[in-house]
Amino acid sequence: MKRKDISIPVEQPKRSNPLANVFDELMDFCRSRSMFMLHYCTGCGAIELPPAMTSRFDMERLGIQPMVTPRQADILLITGYVSIKTLKRVIMTYEQMASPKYVVGICSCTVNGGMYWQSYATAKVLKDYLPVDIYIAGCMPRPEAVIEGLRELMSDIKQGKANSWQRYYKNYDYYLGNQQKLFGDNWQTPTDIIAEARHYNLISEQTEGKHTAVLQQHQKPLEAFEARLKHQQGQAREQ
Amino acid sequence: MRAENYESISHPPSNEFELNFGPNHPGIEGNYAFRVKVNGDQVLEAKADAGYLHRGFEKLMEGRLWIQNLALVPRICVPDPVPMEVCYSQAVEDLCGLQAPERAQWLRVMQLEMSRIAAHLFAFGGHAATTGMYTPSFWGVADRDLMLDRFEELTGGRVYSIYNIPGGVRRDVPDGFLDRLASLLDYLESRLADYDNLFFRNQVFIRRARDIGVLTQAKALKWGVTGPNLRATGLAFDVRRDDPYLVYDQIEFDVVTEEGGDCLARNLVRRGELQQSIRILRQVTARLPDIEGPVRAPIPNPLAWNVPAGETYTRVESSKGELAYYVVSTGGDKPYRVHVRGPSSMHAVQVLEKLAIGARLEDIAQIMFSLDACPPEVDR
Repeated sequence: MKRKDISIPVEQPKRSNPLANVFDELMDFCRSRSMFMLHYCTGCGAIELPPAMTSRFDMERLGIQPMVTPRQADILLITGYVSIKTLKRVIMTYEQMASPKYVVGICSCTVNGGMYWQSYATAKVLKDYLPVDIYIAGCMPRPEAVIEGLRELMSDIKQGKANSWQRYYKNYDYYLGNQQKLFGDNWQTPTDIIAEARHYNLISEQTEGKHTAVLQQHQKPLEAFEARLKHQQGQAREQ
Repeated sequence: MRAENYESISHPPSNEFELNFGPNHPGIEGNYAFRVKVNGDQVLEAKADAGYLHRGFEKLMEGRLWIQNLALVPRICVPDPVPMEVCYSQAVEDLCGLQAPERAQWLRVMQLEMSRIAAHLFAFGGHAATTGMYTPSFWGVADRDLMLDRFEELTGGRVYSIYNIPGGVRRDVPDGFLDRLASLLDYLESRLADYDNLFFRNQVFIRRARDIGVLTQAKALKWGVTGPNLRATGLAFDVRRDDPYLVYDQIEFDVVTEEGGDCLARNLVRRGELQQSIRILRQVTARLPDIEGPVRAPIPNPLAWNVPAGETYTRVESSKGELAYYVVSTGGDKPYRVHVRGPSSMHAVQVLEKLAIGARLEDIAQIMFSLDACPPEVDR
């Protein structure tokens, strides 16, 4: 089956050492063969995952296995519509995952809102809020379609095309702007994306902008941090 | 991560702490969450946190045509979609004064029982996984898939069939379908002994599930519990028997009850209902070839269908409990108001919150799966 290429080419940083490129390709090959997908059922599409994972269609023969914690997962499956309340959790979950990470949008609802296009409670287009590597359309896609989609993802990873996580760092301002439009200006997550972008050397002109400025304005230090500060100040006074 | 997130949080000197249980948790059925207050691993207080799957169905249905809503209703309860379609179709038929032909009624009974088998297999598979037994969950999902194959043959859809419409069903059964269904029933019946040995009579499961999440009959009636969960407390109430719809009054079946009202009893009721559903389907496959006639009553142009003004309340017995629709029409081409009385919103919120008190943390998942609550239907 032919599929429309929605991936956006991202320039790979030039390496001075040619061995590093070989190493990267080898790592991509290994990654594509052992993927842990996060066990998070966001919508109705999740009902086709148990058949896909268990004996009949058996996703595990491709090296894909469910994983319970986001920190050790590689794939974030968005199985169907995301209500606004869920989307907040999905974004927090996504930001907790370690790079490289891949997002798969299952069901028509993630593409364009699907059946709930006029609903007041759902986020319609997933790629406005999170970078998506692959969409699997259908209401709901059959287990064969899910597996076919994940195989496409595998081949994308092998070719180095599945680079949505880099897009998130490079265009953070755009994604954050859309998130702020939905959740309000005081939206913040516990993860510092700009610092991570700097760490991965993926910072670009679009990483910071007017939306990240709004974020920094509203960012409050977490309560624990404040409590620690107070505690330290108290100790200093005693001394 | 920001540096401040690594800082430890000092707790007040107490053994109690709060725990977020879900929505991203394998012990939760679907996208649902709990805020639990625990002392050690004993639950002191549980607060349901629903709304992750809210789509505003009742509002969406007011904006769509009567026939368009048919595509919307099965999405309310994902594991058991057929009762939704049948109940909504019955409500529209009630308002229009339509009567589904006899053959269509038998076909609806057939689908309802097929869907019940699929949902119960899924439910016991899920419950087995929460007690740490993964083989039954693999078996349950695999055998449910065989039933989904029959759905696919009959309707074209694996999960959402949208086979029922107001006035009957869309088309007749394909050739040879009833034979293949009968052989599937033989297979499922032969599997019941295996399920017993592996799960329902397994001491690992029995000792784990007995006296956990006990629901007394008085409390169950007070809290609006219906379906298998009510029958597990010893009360033989079944909408199919006590308020017969379709052709259930011509079919022989027993209302399965158990005493105890704990996780074990609820699962044994489901196991008994698997057997009863197979019995009902056997009668359907035997009777259906003799019943001739159309499968659909003539309906007006569905795109310009003004349903007469009025209101109605229809109910069916879904695999989760009593499912009902309250539909109001003002004579327009769209419903004025649709209210869904889903069984899970009682089971997953008010009942589960109370059953969790005093239970151990690891039993919350088990209690939730034994109540067979369906989060998309809680949130709607």
